[in-house]
Amino acid sequence: MGRFVKRYWMFLALAVLLVYPLLYRAPYYHVLGFNTLLVATAATGWNILGGYTGYKSLGHSAFFGINAYLVAIAANKLGWDPLWSAPLLALVVASVALVLGWIMARAKGSAFVIATIAMLLIFRLLALNLKSVTGGAPGLSQPLAPWSPELSRMPFYYYMLFWLVVALLVSRYIRRSRFGLGLLAIRDDEGKANMVGVNTTLSKVLAFSASAYFIALGGGIWSYAQTHIAPIFAFNILNDVDTVLATMLGGLGTVWGPVLGAFILIPAADYILFKFGASQFHLAVFGVLMVAIILFLPRGILPSLRDRLAARRETSSAFAGARSMEEISDDRAADQLEVGEPYPP
Amino acid sequence: MSFPSINVLIQVIVIGLLTGGVYAVMVSGLTLIFGVMKIINIAHAAFMVLSAYFAYWLFSGFGIDPILSMVAIVPVFFLIGKVTQHRILAPVGDDPGLLVLLTFALAITLEGVLGSISGSTFRTVRTGYTSSIVPVQLGSDLTLRLPVVRLTGFVASFVVLGVLWLMLNRSSLGRAIRATIQNSEAAQLVGVNISRVRSTTFGIGLASVAIGGALFSLIFSFNGSSHVEWISKMLAIIVLGGLGSLPGALIAALILGVAEAVSAVTMTTYISPIVFYLILFLTLILRPQGLMGAKVREG
Repeated sequence: MGRFVKRYWMFLALAVLLVYPLLYRAPYYHVLGFNTLLVATAATGWNILGGYTGYKSLGHSAFFGINAYLVAIAANKLGWDPLWSAPLLALVVASVALVLGWIMARAKGSAFVIATIAMLLIFRLLALNLKSVTGGAPGLSQPLAPWSPELSRMPFYYYMLFWLVVALLVSRYIRRSRFGLGLLAIRDDEGKANMVGVNTTLSKVLAFSASAYFIALGGGIWSYAQTHIAPIFAFNILNDVDTVLATMLGGLGTVWGPVLGAFILIPAADYILFKFGASQFHLAVFGVLMVAIILFLPRGILPSLRDRLAARRETSSAFAGARSMEEISDDRAADQLEVGEPYPP
Repeated sequence: MSFPSINVLIQVIVIGLLTGGVYAVMVSGLTLIFGVMKIINIAHAAFMVLSAYFAYWLFSGFGIDPILSMVAIVPVFFLIGKVTQHRILAPVGDDPGLLVLLTFALAITLEGVLGSISGSTFRTVRTGYTSSIVPVQLGSDLTLRLPVVRLTGFVASFVVLGVLWLMLNRSSLGRAIRATIQNSEAAQLVGVNISRVRSTTFGIGLASVAIGGALFSLIFSFNGSSHVEWISKMLAIIVLGGLGSLPGALIAALILGVAEAVSAVTMTTYISPIVFYLILFLTLILRPQGLMGAKVREG
């Protein structure tokens, strides 16, 4: 049984997620499920840049907002169905991110973080002031989804779940590719990575754009689910906080960490909101939580658990020191690249 | 875009310079903190709003003028700063991304606490002299009208910056701080207690923003969420001035004060903050060392 769970836990988790909205039929649960999946997808995307390369952006929700507006405008002006225009227009946003990423990749460390915040604020200001396109502060409405209101958010839930699976497959593929190893090398030591032949600028720009894609995609679907969007919700640094916090809680730079983090954080946040009402207090709790995670669990749940398991295995097994490929690539990826062998072989 | 007459423009530029002086005191601590420990304190504006609330509460509760209440607020903020650096920032190490997130977390904690206590109503301190104006005759048809609160802020800013400058250049603590800015490892080798210099600098940084907050409460209106808008302005100023450079911060504060005032009359007040964001963005990309600082791309 234990081995079975260990081997197929992903499919078990997926099965649970598939039947969840059928078991809990109240719209509340569908909304909660949708929000959790939305943050999980965005966090998985954010992790490609923030976790793998270590470039922590606090402005990626700019792409969330941009695609939310693009999808709404395309639905209103051209009659495009958001279900397929969201992933399509996210590609447009990702190409915009390619250019922005190329500009911003010149800044490092704190300068990069500030530049991303500035980027978010510029787009927010544009959304507020280009009234003929965005409708200004009151925002934009778009047609309701065609299915019956009784289904509530269920179709959105399944659609988001599908894209979460896609995001995870892409994230895992990147993590195991040579390109991903280059990203990890940048995180460890950018100068060294450059020296051993990683094209650091190109890698950073691609990671920037890839993470923007999934965040933008989430924004597009969110826009359709909301039917009405406004700049203060579409371009909100708190969207970044959710994403970053989920990633850090679960485990920065791991494939599954962002998802785990989102599945803990979003229901917990919802509970806090329900329990204490006012959103301002909810902000304080989030802030304290974030401080606590950074101070006491800086690597997140998954890497800490893995360390503990590894320590236990070491005492009980004759194969002490044996490590999986992923663990090895965890530490000092730049050192491995020096060997010059393609990875994976 | 509409261009005002030359008289209005002169008036606007002078108001911009006065506001810029207040900006200078708001950001002096931020740039000093960056200089010593390479941390961008995203919570700086949140601490300023906290200090503004203290000034507001002391004024509405006991009728104490913000200029006076500084005497009580400043030492408290110095202590808060010292403890925050020692207990929360120092243990995290020196990953700049992580430290920025940490100070960001402090900022939203403060925002949440202030929002829960005081709601979202905008506050400001309205003293007897809030709406008084000093007219200054400059020629036959040009009279500058200078608001007293901005003049007070401007004067107070220069007092604070003067004290900071003296402290940095004429005291042994100042020498230790400057040595740490130049090369922290070498400073440590010659016997500077780096960790103490760091926590003291953070304390001084918060003490200066406490003064900035008291002045801020006289001139601007604020609520718990105001820090988001202000930290971006502050960052624009210190990045333009060159991170870590106090004279640079002063010059950049005056430049941006004027730029903001002029863009507010030529464009609209809604779009004028974009001046800050664009300057911030462009400086980081094109000239990361700012006007007077060292290169910070590696920051």
